[in-house]
Amino acid sequence: MTEPAFLELIHASIDGELDEHQRAELASHLLANPESRALRDGLKDVCAALEGMVAAEPPQQLRASILAALPAMAARPQPARRAVRWSAPAWRHAAAFAGALIAGTVLYEARVSHSPDATEVSGTMAGSGTRTPDIVDTVRLDRGPVEGRVSLYRSAAGFGLELELVASAPVDVLVAGGAQKLRISGLGLPGSPGGPRMMVALPGVGTGGQTVGLTFLVAGREVGAATLSVPAGR
Amino acid sequence: MVRRCRDGDVKAFDQLVVRYQKPVFNAAFRMLRNPEDARDVAQTVFLKVFEHLEQYDLNLKFYSWIYRITLNESINALGRLRPSEAISGNEIDQSPGLEQQMENQQMSRAIEQALMRIQPDHRAVIVLRHFLHLGYQDMGNILELPEKTVKSRLYTARQMLRDVLVEDGVC
Repeated sequence: MTEPAFLELIHASIDGELDEHQRAELASHLLANPESRALRDGLKDVCAALEGMVAAEPPQQLRASILAALPAMAARPQPARRAVRWSAPAWRHAAAFAGALIAGTVLYEARVSHSPDATEVSGTMAGSGTRTPDIVDTVRLDRGPVEGRVSLYRSAAGFGLELELVASAPVDVLVAGGAQKLRISGLGLPGSPGGPRMMVALPGVGTGGQTVGLTFLVAGREVGAATLSVPAGR
Repeated sequence: MVRRCRDGDVKAFDQLVVRYQKPVFNAAFRMLRNPEDARDVAQTVFLKVFEHLEQYDLNLKFYSWIYRITLNESINALGRLRPSEAISGNEIDQSPGLEQQMENQQMSRAIEQALMRIQPDHRAVIVLRHFLHLGYQDMGNILELPEKTVKSRLYTARQMLRDVLVEDGVC
Protein backbone atom coordinates (compact mmCIF):
# COMPACT_ATOMS: atom_id res chain seq x y z
CA MET A 1 0.00 0.00 0.00
CA THR A 2 1.44 3.35 -1.02
CA GLU A 3 1.64 5.87 1.81
CA PRO A 4 -0.47 9.01 1.38
CA ALA A 5 2.59 11.26 1.27
CA PHE A 6 4.05 9.31 -1.65
CA LEU A 7 0.67 9.06 -3.31
CA GLU A 8 0.57 12.84 -3.30
CA LEU A 9 4.06 12.96 -4.79
CA ILE A 10 3.01 10.52 -7.52
CA HIS A 11 0.07 12.70 -8.53
CA ALA A 12 2.17 15.85 -8.34
CA SER A 13 4.80 14.22 -10.55
CA ILE A 14 2.12 13.40 -13.13
CA ASP A 15 1.09 17.06 -13.06
CA GLY A 16 4.75 18.11 -13.43
CA GLU A 17 4.73 19.95 -10.13
CA LEU A 18 7.66 18.42 -8.27
CA ASP A 19 10.81 20.26 -7.37
CA GLU A 20 14.19 18.59 -7.62
CA HIS A 21 14.21 17.43 -4.03
CA GLN A 22 10.73 15.91 -4.26
CA ARG A 23 11.63 14.23 -7.55
CA ALA A 24 14.63 12.57 -5.93
CA GLU A 25 12.53 11.53 -2.93
CA LEU A 26 9.91 9.95 -5.16
CA ALA A 27 12.49 8.27 -7.38
CA SER A 28 14.11 6.49 -4.47
CA HIS A 29 10.71 5.46 -3.13
CA LEU A 30 9.66 4.05 -6.49
CA LEU A 31 12.92 2.18 -6.82
CA ALA A 32 12.27 0.36 -3.57
CA ASN A 33 8.50 -0.14 -3.98
CA PRO A 34 7.30 -2.01 -7.06
CA GLU A 35 3.69 -1.61 -5.89
CA SER A 36 4.02 2.18 -5.93
CA ARG A 37 5.72 1.95 -9.29
CA ALA A 38 2.80 0.00 -10.72
CA LEU A 39 0.37 2.50 -9.23
CA ARG A 40 2.30 5.42 -10.72
CA ASP A 41 2.37 3.73 -14.14
CA GLY A 42 -1.37 3.00 -13.97
CA LEU A 43 -2.23 6.58 -13.01
CA LYS A 44 0.06 7.92 -15.72
CA ASP A 45 -1.72 5.76 -18.29
CA VAL A 46 -5.13 7.00 -17.11
CA CYS A 47 -4.03 10.64 -17.29
CA ALA A 48 -2.43 10.13 -20.71
CA ALA A 49 -5.66 8.56 -21.97
CA LEU A 50 -7.69 11.47 -20.55
CA GLU A 51 -5.40 13.96 -22.27
CA GLY A 52 -5.65 12.03 -25.51
CA MET A 53 -9.41 12.24 -25.71
CA VAL A 54 -10.61 14.42 -28.54
CA ALA A 55 -12.65 17.48 -27.64
CA ALA A 56 -16.30 17.12 -28.58
CA GLU A 57 -17.44 19.58 -31.22
CA PRO A 58 -20.59 21.49 -30.26
CA PRO A 59 -23.55 21.03 -32.63
CA GLN A 60 -23.55 23.54 -35.47
CA GLN A 61 -26.94 24.92 -34.47
CA LEU A 62 -25.93 25.61 -30.87
CA ARG A 63 -24.81 29.17 -31.46
CA ALA A 64 -27.92 30.04 -33.46
CA SER A 65 -30.24 28.43 -30.93
CA ILE A 66 -28.63 30.37 -28.08
CA LEU A 67 -28.97 33.67 -29.88
CA ALA A 68 -32.53 32.84 -30.89
CA ALA A 69 -33.38 32.24 -27.26
CA LEU A 70 -32.42 35.79 -26.34
CA PRO A 71 -35.41 37.76 -27.62
CA ALA A 72 -35.16 40.27 -24.85
CA MET A 73 -31.60 41.14 -25.65
CA ALA A 74 -32.25 43.03 -28.85
CA ALA A 75 -34.97 44.93 -27.02
CA ARG A 76 -32.57 46.06 -24.34
CA PRO A 77 -31.93 49.77 -24.49
CA GLN A 78 -28.58 50.35 -26.11
CA PRO A 79 -26.62 52.95 -24.19
CA ALA A 80 -25.64 56.01 -26.12
CA ARG A 81 -22.19 55.30 -27.42
CA ARG A 82 -19.87 58.04 -26.34
CA ALA A 83 -17.29 58.98 -28.89
CA VAL A 84 -14.05 58.97 -26.99
CA ARG A 85 -11.43 61.14 -28.56
CA TRP A 86 -8.10 60.85 -26.88
CA SER A 87 -6.20 64.03 -26.50
CA ALA A 88 -2.63 63.59 -27.70
CA PRO A 89 -0.97 63.47 -24.23
CA ALA A 90 -3.68 61.19 -22.85
CA TRP A 91 -3.33 58.90 -25.84
CA ARG A 92 0.41 58.73 -25.31
CA HIS A 93 -0.07 57.82 -21.64
CA ALA A 94 -2.56 55.13 -22.54
CA ALA A 95 -0.27 53.74 -25.23
CA ALA A 96 2.67 53.73 -22.85
CA PHE A 97 0.61 51.95 -20.22
CA ALA A 98 -0.62 49.37 -22.72
CA GLY A 99 2.92 48.87 -23.98
CA ALA A 100 4.20 48.35 -20.45
CA LEU A 101 1.40 45.91 -19.73
CA ILE A 102 2.16 43.84 -22.82
CA ALA A 103 5.92 44.02 -22.35
CA GLY A 104 5.38 42.76 -18.83
CA THR A 105 4.00 39.53 -20.23
CA VAL A 106 6.98 38.89 -22.47
CA LEU A 107 10.19 37.73 -20.90
CA TYR A 108 13.31 36.80 -22.75
CA GLU A 109 15.43 34.11 -21.20
CA ALA A 110 18.66 34.88 -22.94
CA ARG A 111 20.52 31.75 -23.82
CA VAL A 112 23.34 33.34 -25.74
CA SER A 113 26.20 30.92 -25.98
CA HIS A 114 28.93 33.50 -25.30
CA SER A 115 27.09 34.80 -22.24
CA PRO A 116 26.92 32.03 -19.66
CA ASP A 117 24.78 33.93 -17.16
CA ALA A 118 21.12 33.67 -18.06
CA THR A 119 19.48 37.06 -17.92
CA GLU A 120 15.92 38.20 -18.22
CA VAL A 121 15.06 41.37 -20.04
CA SER A 122 11.76 42.80 -21.08
CA GLY A 123 10.74 41.87 -24.56
CA THR A 124 9.67 44.39 -27.12
CA MET A 125 6.62 44.47 -29.28
CA ALA A 126 7.24 44.33 -32.97
CA GLY A 127 7.30 47.74 -34.54
CA SER A 128 4.03 48.69 -36.16
CA GLY A 129 5.37 50.26 -39.28
CA THR A 130 3.22 51.34 -42.15
CA ARG A 131 4.38 48.46 -44.35
CA THR A 132 2.52 45.19 -44.11
CA PRO A 133 4.79 42.46 -42.72
CA ASP A 134 5.67 39.68 -45.13
CA ILE A 135 4.43 36.33 -43.75
CA VAL A 136 7.11 33.71 -44.41
CA ASP A 137 5.65 30.71 -42.58
CA THR A 138 2.43 29.91 -40.74
CA VAL A 139 1.22 27.10 -38.56
CA ARG A 140 -2.49 26.58 -37.95
CA LEU A 141 -3.84 25.02 -34.78
CA ASP A 142 -7.31 23.68 -35.35
CA ARG A 143 -7.57 20.77 -32.93
CA GLY A 144 -6.95 20.48 -29.25
CA PRO A 145 -7.10 22.94 -26.36
CA VAL A 146 -5.43 25.78 -28.29
CA GLU A 147 -6.71 26.99 -31.64
CA GLY A 148 -5.70 29.72 -34.04
CA ARG A 149 -2.48 30.36 -35.87
CA VAL A 150 1.08 31.50 -35.41
CA SER A 151 2.94 33.18 -38.25
CA LEU A 152 6.57 34.06 -38.74
CA TYR A 153 6.81 37.39 -40.51
CA ARG A 154 9.48 39.62 -41.86
CA SER A 155 9.26 43.40 -41.66
CA ALA A 156 11.70 46.25 -42.13
CA ALA A 157 12.65 45.82 -38.46
CA GLY A 158 13.44 42.12 -38.83
CA PHE A 159 11.66 38.87 -38.11
CA GLY A 160 8.84 38.44 -35.65
CA LEU A 161 5.92 36.29 -34.62
CA GLU A 162 2.25 37.04 -34.97
CA LEU A 163 0.14 34.94 -32.63
CA GLU A 164 -3.62 34.67 -32.83
CA LEU A 165 -4.75 32.09 -30.32
CA VAL A 166 -8.05 31.10 -28.80
CA ALA A 167 -8.28 28.80 -25.81
CA SER A 168 -10.48 27.99 -22.87
CA ALA A 169 -7.67 28.76 -20.41
CA PRO A 170 -4.63 31.07 -20.54
CA VAL A 171 -1.89 29.85 -22.90
CA ASP A 172 1.86 30.34 -22.49
CA VAL A 173 4.03 29.98 -25.56
CA LEU A 174 7.71 29.09 -25.35
CA VAL A 175 9.60 30.29 -28.38
CA ALA A 176 13.09 28.99 -29.21
CA GLY A 177 14.73 30.74 -32.12
CA GLY A 178 18.38 31.39 -32.83
CA ALA A 179 20.23 31.59 -29.53
CA GLN A 180 17.27 32.87 -27.57
CA LYS A 181 14.34 31.54 -25.65
CA LEU A 182 11.23 33.59 -25.13
CA ARG A 183 8.16 33.02 -23.03
CA ILE A 184 4.88 34.75 -23.90
CA SER A 185 2.31 34.44 -21.15
CA GLY A 186 -1.43 34.70 -20.85
CA LEU A 187 -2.56 34.45 -24.47
CA GLY A 188 -5.79 33.14 -25.89
CA LEU A 189 -8.47 34.73 -23.75
CA PRO A 190 -10.40 37.95 -24.08
CA GLY A 191 -9.22 40.28 -21.37
CA SER A 192 -5.91 38.51 -20.90
CA PRO A 193 -2.85 40.80 -21.14
CA GLY A 194 -1.85 39.41 -24.53
CA GLY A 195 -5.41 39.11 -25.77
CA PRO A 196 -6.14 36.81 -28.65
CA ARG A 197 -3.60 38.48 -30.98
CA MET A 198 -0.05 39.53 -30.36
CA MET A 199 3.04 40.44 -32.38
CA VAL A 200 6.48 39.88 -30.95
CA ALA A 201 9.83 40.76 -32.49
CA LEU A 202 12.47 38.03 -32.73
CA PRO A 203 15.76 39.91 -32.90
CA GLY A 204 17.88 36.73 -32.94
CA VAL A 205 16.23 35.27 -36.02
CA GLY A 206 17.14 36.12 -39.57
CA THR A 207 19.26 33.50 -41.27
CA GLY A 208 17.75 31.47 -44.09
CA GLY A 209 16.90 27.92 -43.04
CA GLN A 210 16.74 28.89 -39.36
CA THR A 211 13.85 27.39 -37.39
CA VAL A 212 11.71 28.76 -34.59
CA GLY A 213 10.35 26.18 -32.16
CA LEU A 214 7.03 26.80 -30.42
CA THR A 215 5.76 24.98 -27.36
CA PHE A 216 2.21 25.65 -26.15
CA LEU A 217 1.52 25.34 -22.42
CA VAL A 218 -1.79 25.39 -20.60
CA ALA A 219 -1.72 25.39 -16.79
CA GLY A 220 2.02 24.80 -17.02
CA ARG A 221 1.63 21.64 -19.07
CA GLU A 222 2.70 21.17 -22.66
CA VAL A 223 -0.34 20.77 -24.91
CA GLY A 224 1.30 21.12 -28.30
CA ALA A 225 4.37 22.08 -30.29
CA ALA A 226 5.16 23.42 -33.76
CA THR A 227 8.08 24.65 -35.80
CA LEU A 228 8.30 27.62 -38.15
CA SER A 229 11.13 28.09 -40.66
CA VAL A 230 12.83 31.02 -42.28
CA PRO A 231 12.99 30.07 -45.96
CA ALA A 232 16.47 29.60 -47.37
CA GLY A 233 17.77 32.66 -49.16
CA ARG A 234 16.07 35.19 -46.84
CA MET B 1 -16.32 41.99 -24.46
CA VAL B 2 -18.24 41.24 -21.27
CA ARG B 3 -18.72 44.94 -20.65
CA ARG B 4 -20.16 45.32 -24.13
CA CYS B 5 -22.50 42.37 -23.50
CA ARG B 6 -23.67 44.07 -20.33
CA ASP B 7 -24.50 47.10 -22.39
CA GLY B 8 -26.75 44.95 -24.56
CA ASP B 9 -24.37 44.56 -27.49
CA VAL B 10 -25.69 41.48 -29.34
CA LYS B 11 -22.55 41.18 -31.47
CA ALA B 12 -20.41 41.03 -28.36
CA PHE B 13 -22.62 38.32 -26.88
CA ASP B 14 -22.35 36.39 -30.13
CA GLN B 15 -18.55 36.59 -29.86
CA LEU B 16 -18.80 35.33 -26.32
CA VAL B 17 -20.82 32.34 -27.53
CA VAL B 18 -18.32 31.64 -30.32
CA ARG B 19 -15.44 31.83 -27.87
CA TYR B 20 -16.91 29.66 -25.14
CA GLN B 21 -19.38 27.29 -26.79
CA LYS B 22 -16.77 24.58 -27.34
CA PRO B 23 -15.37 24.37 -23.78
CA VAL B 24 -18.83 24.77 -22.27
CA PHE B 25 -20.31 22.05 -24.48
CA ASN B 26 -17.31 19.83 -23.84
CA ALA B 27 -17.48 20.17 -20.10
CA ALA B 28 -21.20 19.39 -20.14
CA PHE B 29 -20.66 16.47 -22.52
CA ARG B 30 -17.98 14.95 -20.29
CA MET B 31 -20.22 15.39 -17.26
CA LEU B 32 -23.32 13.90 -18.92
CA ARG B 33 -21.98 11.77 -21.78
CA ASN B 34 -24.97 12.58 -23.90
CA PRO B 35 -24.64 15.16 -26.70
CA GLU B 36 -28.27 16.23 -26.57
CA ASP B 37 -28.22 16.84 -22.83
CA ALA B 38 -24.89 18.61 -23.21
CA ARG B 39 -26.39 20.88 -25.87
CA ASP B 40 -29.35 21.70 -23.60
CA VAL B 41 -27.02 22.45 -20.71
CA ALA B 42 -24.81 24.65 -22.92
CA GLN B 43 -27.85 26.61 -24.05
CA THR B 44 -29.03 27.05 -20.45
CA VAL B 45 -25.54 28.17 -19.42
CA PHE B 46 -25.42 30.95 -21.99
CA LEU B 47 -28.93 32.09 -21.14
CA LYS B 48 -27.97 32.22 -17.47
CA VAL B 49 -24.82 34.12 -18.31
CA PHE B 50 -26.90 36.62 -20.22
CA GLU B 51 -29.50 36.94 -17.47
CA HIS B 52 -26.95 37.36 -14.70
CA LEU B 53 -24.30 39.43 -16.45
CA GLU B 54 -25.23 42.37 -14.25
CA GLN B 55 -24.19 40.33 -11.21
CA TYR B 56 -20.90 39.19 -12.68
CA ASP B 57 -17.93 40.72 -10.90
CA LEU B 58 -15.64 42.10 -13.60
CA ASN B 59 -12.64 41.56 -11.33
CA LEU B 60 -13.10 37.80 -11.57
CA LYS B 61 -12.01 35.74 -14.53
CA PHE B 62 -14.94 35.29 -16.86
CA TYR B 63 -14.08 31.70 -17.70
CA SER B 64 -14.12 30.75 -14.01
CA TRP B 65 -17.62 32.11 -13.78
CA ILE B 66 -18.99 30.46 -16.92
CA TYR B 67 -17.37 27.09 -16.10
CA ARG B 68 -18.85 27.22 -12.61
CA ILE B 69 -22.30 27.73 -14.12
CA THR B 70 -21.62 24.88 -16.56
CA LEU B 71 -20.71 22.41 -13.85
CA ASN B 72 -23.65 23.41 -11.68
CA GLU B 73 -26.06 23.07 -14.59
CA SER B 74 -24.58 19.70 -15.55
CA ILE B 75 -24.95 18.40 -12.02
CA ASN B 76 -28.54 19.69 -11.93
CA ALA B 77 -29.21 17.94 -15.24
CA LEU B 78 -27.79 14.69 -13.88
CA GLY B 79 -30.30 14.89 -11.04
CA ARG B 80 -33.16 15.32 -13.50
CA LEU B 81 -32.14 12.50 -15.84
CA ARG B 82 -33.30 8.96 -15.28
CA PRO B 83 -30.34 6.57 -15.11
CA SER B 84 -31.37 4.93 -18.39
CA GLU B 85 -31.26 8.31 -20.11
CA ALA B 86 -27.93 9.34 -18.69
CA ILE B 87 -25.82 6.74 -20.44
CA SER B 88 -26.31 4.99 -23.69
CA GLY B 89 -23.48 3.01 -25.26
CA ASN B 90 -24.19 4.05 -28.84
CA GLU B 91 -24.45 7.79 -28.49
CA ILE B 92 -20.81 8.47 -29.22
CA ASP B 93 -20.94 6.65 -32.55
CA GLN B 94 -24.00 8.59 -33.59
CA SER B 95 -22.24 11.95 -33.24
CA PRO B 96 -20.42 12.45 -36.51
CA GLY B 97 -16.75 13.26 -36.09
CA LEU B 98 -16.94 13.30 -32.34
CA GLU B 99 -14.48 10.54 -31.62
CA GLN B 100 -13.03 10.03 -35.08
CA GLN B 101 -9.54 11.15 -34.28
CA MET B 102 -9.03 9.08 -31.19
CA GLU B 103 -5.79 7.20 -31.12
CA ASN B 104 -7.24 4.57 -28.89
CA GLN B 105 -10.98 4.43 -29.24
CA GLN B 106 -11.42 1.50 -26.93
CA MET B 107 -9.53 3.15 -24.08
CA SER B 108 -11.40 6.42 -24.60
CA ARG B 109 -14.72 4.67 -24.46
CA ALA B 110 -13.67 2.76 -21.36
CA ILE B 111 -12.66 6.04 -19.73
CA GLU B 112 -15.96 7.67 -20.66
CA GLN B 113 -17.85 4.80 -19.10
CA ALA B 114 -15.62 4.84 -16.03
CA LEU B 115 -16.14 8.60 -15.65
CA MET B 116 -19.88 8.04 -15.43
CA ARG B 117 -19.35 5.58 -12.60
CA ILE B 118 -17.62 8.02 -10.28
CA GLN B 119 -19.42 10.70 -8.28
CA PRO B 120 -20.26 13.93 -10.17
CA ASP B 121 -18.12 15.94 -7.72
CA HIS B 122 -15.13 13.83 -8.62
CA ARG B 123 -16.00 13.83 -12.30
CA ALA B 124 -16.10 17.62 -12.19
CA VAL B 125 -12.47 17.93 -11.07
CA ILE B 126 -11.39 15.55 -13.84
CA VAL B 127 -13.28 17.65 -16.36
CA LEU B 128 -11.72 20.89 -15.15
CA ARG B 129 -8.20 19.51 -15.04
CA HIS B 130 -8.03 17.15 -17.98
CA PHE B 131 -10.58 18.50 -20.44
CA LEU B 132 -10.53 22.23 -19.71
CA HIS B 133 -6.82 22.16 -18.80
CA LEU B 134 -7.15 24.44 -15.78
CA GLY B 135 -4.69 24.91 -12.95
CA TYR B 136 -5.48 24.24 -9.30
CA GLN B 137 -6.08 27.89 -8.49
CA ASP B 138 -8.67 28.29 -11.22
CA MET B 139 -10.26 25.00 -10.23
CA GLY B 140 -10.48 26.23 -6.66
CA ASN B 141 -12.15 29.45 -7.79
CA ILE B 142 -14.68 27.57 -9.87
CA LEU B 143 -15.51 24.99 -7.23
CA GLU B 144 -15.19 27.52 -4.39
CA LEU B 145 -12.80 25.21 -2.61
CA PRO B 146 -9.28 25.69 -1.24
CA GLU B 147 -6.52 24.51 -3.59
CA LYS B 148 -5.53 21.78 -1.16
CA THR B 149 -9.02 20.31 -1.24
CA VAL B 150 -9.07 20.52 -5.03
CA LYS B 151 -5.82 18.58 -5.24
CA SER B 152 -6.97 15.94 -2.83
CA ARG B 153 -10.27 15.56 -4.68
CA LEU B 154 -8.49 15.30 -8.02
CA TYR B 155 -6.12 12.65 -6.69
CA THR B 156 -9.05 10.66 -5.30
CA ALA B 157 -10.94 11.02 -8.58
CA ARG B 158 -8.01 9.72 -10.63
CA GLN B 159 -7.60 6.85 -8.24
CA MET B 160 -11.29 5.98 -8.48
CA LEU B 161 -11.13 6.15 -12.25
CA ARG B 162 -8.17 3.81 -12.29
CA ASP B 163 -9.90 1.42 -9.85
CA VAL B 164 -12.97 1.28 -12.12
CA LEU B 165 -10.76 0.63 -15.15
CA VAL B 166 -8.89 -2.12 -13.29
CA GLU B 167 -12.22 -3.62 -12.25
CA ASP B 168 -13.32 -3.58 -15.89
CA GLY B 169 -10.08 -5.24 -16.93
CA VAL B 170 -8.96 -2.25 -18.99
CA CYS B 171 -5.85 -1.37 -16.95
